[in-house]
Amino acid sequence: MGNYVKRFSAFDRVVHWVLAIAFFVLVTSGLGLFAHTFFSYFDFFGGPEQGILAHKIAGIVFFITSILLFFAHAKDTCSFDSDDSRWFKGFGGYLSKDEPEIPQGKFNAGQKLFALFSIAATVILGITGYIIWDPTSMGRGLTQLSLMLHGLFFIFFIMGAVVHIYLATIGNPGTVDGMLYGQVKKIWAKKHASKWYKEVTDKK
Amino acid sequence: MKRKAFMIDTSLCIACRSCQVACKQWNKLPAEATVNSGSYENPPQLTAYLHNKIEFIETEENGEFKWLFLNKRCLHCSEAGCMKVCPSVGALYRTEDGLVAFNKDKCIGCNYCVNGCPFDVPRYDAQNKIAKCHGCFDRVENGLQPACVKACPTGTLTFGDRDQLIAKAKSGGKQIYGETALSGLGAMYLLDNKPQDYALADNPTIPTSIFLWKDVIKPLGILGFWGAIGVAMLHYVTVGPKQLEENGEEKGGGNHG
Repeated sequence: MGNYVKRFSAFDRVVHWVLAIAFFVLVTSGLGLFAHTFFSYFDFFGGPEQGILAHKIAGIVFFITSILLFFAHAKDTCSFDSDDSRWFKGFGGYLSKDEPEIPQGKFNAGQKLFALFSIAATVILGITGYIIWDPTSMGRGLTQLSLMLHGLFFIFFIMGAVVHIYLATIGNPGTVDGMLYGQVKKIWAKKHASKWYKEVTDKK
Repeated sequence: MKRKAFMIDTSLCIACRSCQVACKQWNKLPAEATVNSGSYENPPQLTAYLHNKIEFIETEENGEFKWLFLNKRCLHCSEAGCMKVCPSVGALYRTEDGLVAFNKDKCIGCNYCVNGCPFDVPRYDAQNKIAKCHGCFDRVENGLQPACVKACPTGTLTFGDRDQLIAKAKSGGKQIYGETALSGLGAMYLLDNKPQDYALADNPTIPTSIFLWKDVIKPLGILGFWGAIGVAMLHYVTVGPKQLEENGEEKGGGNHG
């Protein structure tokens, strides 16, 4: 255990993976409504009506877990400092191998941005999802706008998810350990989140 | 096959509502309870069991009361908003005669067509399946007139070859509503007054949000998704991942595993 440092609580991890499962249920069930190409995805759910029902249930689960996850980390994700602006200016060091890592807190500036984007997208998808829950209940103009925004933020979210999954797995080896086992290697913490590492080791 | 269409000459309409009754009879649509809204117009809205109806629009002309009668129905647009948004291929489809018909067995009950229609026509029945005017395609395919046209005693409703109907209306010097709108409506009006007086848009279009959703966001979104995957893969093989140096960290020494 000496080589590891605790990063995520069991609560964080459970909420994250419930959210992740809900996300993939939402994507597979929602794609059938999004484009003809994916209509057969409804077969996974036993048919279109059941797929739409699964989408609604998963939507509620995703909304709740996303809010929980956001507030669990809000104190680490909602403030940006000068190191963060340096991080953004250098694109997080992702454009070159030679850049030295910029000191970062528990979450780097990009992760914080993703957290803020996620909660904003969750709220917008949640509100528009509520409006189109029964697409004849709220008036045509509002429903039409909600259908469009629901599709737009789905696109943003799926693109965000691609980047998130890449950077949290093969793009940054060792990162996914935190979400799987709750702890990361000390060398990971020193490299990716040196300010946070200093904080947690000083406490001891 | 040449496109067939309705031509609806509102100046001839006497609001007898034979069209409403004939439609219900042919399509076996049940009667519905309704309310007195202080107008002869009845029922007040198209429903899943009322696929065409006469609107009684009350206006004044030279200080005198005047009714405008409009046969509301699906206009069988060439560029049909309902078909554009329908996720289930074949639930809404175009017949060989150019009518927009539907197949309830394929309808998934999503209600998107209700919002995609420029004219607020599609309705959902008690089983949550689409219902609207399908132009009596079953009659038309067998050489008959649609039920409403057959029943119309004044010649307000006519049905036939679309080009011929347009040519005939033009030779009569009449303004046609819907000749070119939405790439040509399959039910056109000859109006006494301006379209606004009938609560019809001058230039009806697919609702803007629906256009953006289906024609901009969807294609760009699919591009964006694969683009994101492409960028990630490109990054992995060019710059490469941020590897952890197990031995000999750049600075600060560290633990050795």
